[in-house]
Amino acid sequence: MTPKKVQRKEKEEPRIGVYVCHCGLNIGGVVDCARVAEFAAGLPGVILSKDNLYTCSEPGQELIKADIKEHRLNRVVVASCTPRLHEPTFRAACEDAGLNPYLFEMANIREHCSWVHLHDKEAATEKAKDLVRMAVARSKLLAAQEPLEVPVTRKALVIGGGVAGIQAALDLADSGYKVYLIEKDPSIGGRMAQIDKTFPTMDCSICILAPKMSEAGRHPNIELLTLSEIEGVEGYVGNFTVQVRKKARFVTDSCTACGDCVKVCPQVAPDEFNAGLSMRRAIYMSFAQAVPSTYQIDMDLCLNKHGIIACDKCFQACQRQCVDYSQQDQILTLDVGTIIVATGVDVYDPTPLTEFGYRKFPNVITSLEFERLINAGGPSGGNLIRPSDQKIPKTVAFLQCIGSRSKRSNIYCSNICCMNTIKDALLIKEHWPETKILVFYIDIRAFGKGFEDLFQRARREGVSFIRGVPGEIIEDPETNSLTLIGEDTLLSQLYRYEVDMAILSVGIEPRKDSPVIQRLLNLSCAADGFFLEAHPKLRPVDTPTGGIFLAGCAEGPKDIKDSVTQASAAASRANILMAQGKVIVEAITAVVDETLCQGCGMCVKVCPYSTIREDPETKIAQVTQASCAGCGTCVAECPFSAITQRHFTDAQIFAQIDAITEEAPETKAVAFCCNWCSYAGADFAGVSRMQYPTPIRIIRTMCSGRISTEFIEYAFRRGAAAVLVSGCHIGDCHYINANHQTEKRVNRVWKKMERLGLDKNRLQLAWISAAEGNLFARKMKEIDEIIQGVTPEEIEKTKQILVPKKKGKGEGTEPKE
Amino acid sequence: MDPIDLKKLDPDFKHRLARELGGEQIKKCFSCGVCSARCPIEKIEPEYNPRRIIRMILLGMEEELLKEEFLWHCSTCYTCQESCPQEVDFTEVIFVLRNMAVRKGLAPAGLGAARNLLDQQGRMYEIGDFENEKRKEMGLPEIKGNAKDYRELLKD
Repeated sequence: MTPKKVQRKEKEEPRIGVYVCHCGLNIGGVVDCARVAEFAAGLPGVILSKDNLYTCSEPGQELIKADIKEHRLNRVVVASCTPRLHEPTFRAACEDAGLNPYLFEMANIREHCSWVHLHDKEAATEKAKDLVRMAVARSKLLAAQEPLEVPVTRKALVIGGGVAGIQAALDLADSGYKVYLIEKDPSIGGRMAQIDKTFPTMDCSICILAPKMSEAGRHPNIELLTLSEIEGVEGYVGNFTVQVRKKARFVTDSCTACGDCVKVCPQVAPDEFNAGLSMRRAIYMSFAQAVPSTYQIDMDLCLNKHGIIACDKCFQACQRQCVDYSQQDQILTLDVGTIIVATGVDVYDPTPLTEFGYRKFPNVITSLEFERLINAGGPSGGNLIRPSDQKIPKTVAFLQCIGSRSKRSNIYCSNICCMNTIKDALLIKEHWPETKILVFYIDIRAFGKGFEDLFQRARREGVSFIRGVPGEIIEDPETNSLTLIGEDTLLSQLYRYEVDMAILSVGIEPRKDSPVIQRLLNLSCAADGFFLEAHPKLRPVDTPTGGIFLAGCAEGPKDIKDSVTQASAAASRANILMAQGKVIVEAITAVVDETLCQGCGMCVKVCPYSTIREDPETKIAQVTQASCAGCGTCVAECPFSAITQRHFTDAQIFAQIDAITEEAPETKAVAFCCNWCSYAGADFAGVSRMQYPTPIRIIRTMCSGRISTEFIEYAFRRGAAAVLVSGCHIGDCHYINANHQTEKRVNRVWKKMERLGLDKNRLQLAWISAAEGNLFARKMKEIDEIIQGVTPEEIEKTKQILVPKKKGKGEGTEPKE
Repeated sequence: MDPIDLKKLDPDFKHRLARELGGEQIKKCFSCGVCSARCPIEKIEPEYNPRRIIRMILLGMEEELLKEEFLWHCSTCYTCQESCPQEVDFTEVIFVLRNMAVRKGLAPAGLGAARNLLDQQGRMYEIGDFENEKRKEMGLPEIKGNAKDYRELLKD
């Protein structure tokens, strides 16, 4: 799978066409586009330069296509919006006209210029000129690239057998693909199987789920692996190899679920399925509708341990001889092309919120415990009873936002609790209409289809909604009744309500073992701990890792309908990959020049994807092109400049630095921003029209890990007043952990500057996420202050003494000046 | 009670308060009412209502709020601060409000008297012959009103 040899130098003379876009008044209202176009026309290599109203429009694109043909343009530069928006549009236009799309370059004069310098038209125009100069300089060094095609295995793995996992597995299986559905519990069904009714339609949860469960269990294309967990994942989009541990069940498939074994088992433990409200035996089946309908032995509880048989009652009781105490865990290796992560959620445990007395007062229960109590298959046969005296309560309180929207637990809204409580309140009213129900809330969020109707119905049926959650619950030790103390915030009056039972409407949170899945699959997590999607609006079920998709609550709290919708979406996304049977990898991968590689192994160490291997004999590094994500960290690390990142070469980046520092470098700052976070953060500052000073010039790389110490030092040697290196927050890197290398490198330069007596404050490192436009703008103001404080002597001194350290002979270490 | 008059509201009040030490978190309040629910003062003095005070701040009722006597009822037990889900630091906010009130000359008269006493004596309660005789009986040295250090502190 070796890529085509990268063309290092384009033989033909560059013939560049520059298009400066007005974007209506978005750019044209601030930047003098005609002047910028005129300036561009004077740049070496530019054959023609035009300004037009909307370059992205059909006529705008046609103009580019016509010019490519008529003027034999071999490079196209468009100065308009962010490449994150229209780069694909213009690349397609170039390709249409027969120009390799990698010979196209963009200058971002909207988000990074006109929108953030609305009130300084002159400086904005000057900045736009610089940005165009940078783009033209880079475009000259661009080379045609051929993206790589990788085959896709037409099998899928679904992790998690809740409703989302079941739906995704069924969709893919129905499309004709082989699906492995993995569930760590003994049965599929997940959280939905535990719930009594669903909102807003009040359907019986297990009645609508069970048919789907059995369909998944008997589908010819689905291989169901329960009591199984993934232990290792290798490979890349379309070609994953997954190690699965299928734990021993100790009961064979011939089990008919007659239940004779259970009657004789002497060991008991709290039943997890019933939220600990009832007991189960060591040999058990989670619930009546379990799929597979097979018993299993909990070996932690069973008396038979380490091969010593102390009790064989179940074995004796089983007529079909299904009990096998000697069963061993199996390790399976699965080859799949796509993976869907549907690992679901845990329920918040309110024990730490001591003011509510959960676990201390028997009649304070959680909403999940309520579901099991009200469920006909539950421990009380569907009777809502007080745990203290098994009596039906006359007054019931629901407390909202327990474990949600609080810095003491989880800060996010758990999304489902409001509607779940409303549904639960109606269920009580249905069975015991005389019950007095109080719902204590902060805000009721009834946002979905049919939700508001259900809310109004609950109010009509007499459920009292009280704004203001109790600060404390106290118990009468005699009657075990509870008093809730709080403030009715609508009345501005304190209340003391006495109730028979209090239900804590608990939130949901990421699975405790989700960091394991995250590590195994190279996923990212948002600050709230849920898995991060590739784009919150436009790629909501993709992950940043190709071929892996998200479904259900693993991505964020959501109800059953949204989980099912998302599961079908994830299945559809996986289907696209598998139906095509191949995937195209963007030509921004790392390529090793074997003549320069000394086999030092530095690249192997820093590669976040473990995609670089040393040849066992020659020690020369080899990059697996299909799994190289194109962060460029290895390129920046290589001491011999033996690795090049296609489309982001050293020479291209040096050319951009040259362009920035060509005129008045002492008034400017060179910023290196990663495509996913800080560059996007700068875009966000632009979209939000956050105003900041003009001296910054941004160079985009895919990852901040691409920024080598040479780039930073070179910018200073060229006389730049300040340098900013910026990337995703530590832990949020889109290339797993490549930004750790960024941090190390900046530290190295800081130390060097300190040693040489230079002001290290001139080199700034900032972690800025795509959502932190305000942080970006603030950083720009800081940098402007730094620039104001730098003396010409300091700059001159830096130029003299910040000399490059000796390196292996290689291209691109230092540009020819 | 008069209806709220938009013209009398100062939308900048919350920003100014947020710039003061301790007031930084004020805009995070979502009015859940837990501060009021757990406040021991509100139970005996319903006029003092932390959630309502925050609401007044966020609306910009500076004029009305700073002259209210109930600002001085808080016992600074920090229960509100400890139980706030949004970490609003309400006890600190009370200090900020009191400082603002003092700057505007709206502090209760008793506070001025207490300040003068501190200025002169260096302590809140005057030490006279009676106290010193008692100390002498117990073998303790005599204390004289020495307020020099405190005066330094209270210079502003």
